[in-house]
Amino acid sequence: MSDFRTSQNQAHPNKTNTLLTGIILLLILFVSIQIWFLFGALNNALEDNFYFALTTFIGSLILAITSFWLLRYLPDPIKPKLKKNQQKDNLPT
Amino acid sequence: MAKDPEKIPTWKSDFPFQSKLATHVSRREFAKFLGLLSGALAVSNGAIVIRSLAFPHKPLEGEHFICNEDEVPVGEMFQFEIEGSKIIPYILIHLEANKWRAFEQKCTHLACAVRYRADLNQIECPCHSGFFNADTGDVIQGPPPRALPQLEVVSREGKIYVKAKGAT
Repeated sequence: MSDFRTSQNQAHPNKTNTLLTGIILLLILFVSIQIWFLFGALNNALEDNFYFALTTFIGSLILAITSFWLLRYLPDPIKPKLKKNQQKDNLPT
Repeated sequence: MAKDPEKIPTWKSDFPFQSKLATHVSRREFAKFLGLLSGALAVSNGAIVIRSLAFPHKPLEGEHFICNEDEVPVGEMFQFEIEGSKIIPYILIHLEANKWRAFEQKCTHLACAVRYRADLNQIECPCHSGFFNADTGDVIQGPPPRALPQLEVVSREGKIYVKAKGAT
């Protein structure tokens, strides 16, 4: 029997791919910006500049929270319904 | 709670016996790892804030005796350390008669030890060919982004002392 989710997945077979690629690209972007912030905060010149360290920390925290929030939208793997004797031979996706 | 007979238990998917499964990283796992990395980066940035709150940078206090004037001839450099909250190496340079300079020995680029080159009258960082003005500590050439931190030199009764710049 087909339900709404199954028929939607059949109608748009590339949707999972697009979503995953988009989420991973966004996460890579966030992590890159955070590395940049961390590098700036670690710089010797900023030893006396507390506010730079604080600002980068707030920015980094916001990006981390956004990253965790993005993980909610990871699409579920599409698992074909298998018969019991087939399941142990197949790899989970 | 009734068990779902079709569901693979977590311990089984965490410790698979097939090598192909053990080395396989799915895109979902990769995305979750990126999320974890993002959290770790935010925590390390927070650690810097806590560190600067807990251990604020203290300027050098008081005058410190370094050496006698006659120990360092003109054109020579003398290396010394001042023990405080952290040990920082410094160099004392005798530029001309009665003209002394003291700089931090750590290059502002990647903290290599700098040295005075009397033939050029400049301070050189041998790691990446950075050059500093021996009089002011300003960058002349190379990758260092900032001037060398400087100490004030006081010469009194044939003895050399250093103190923080601008300190009384």
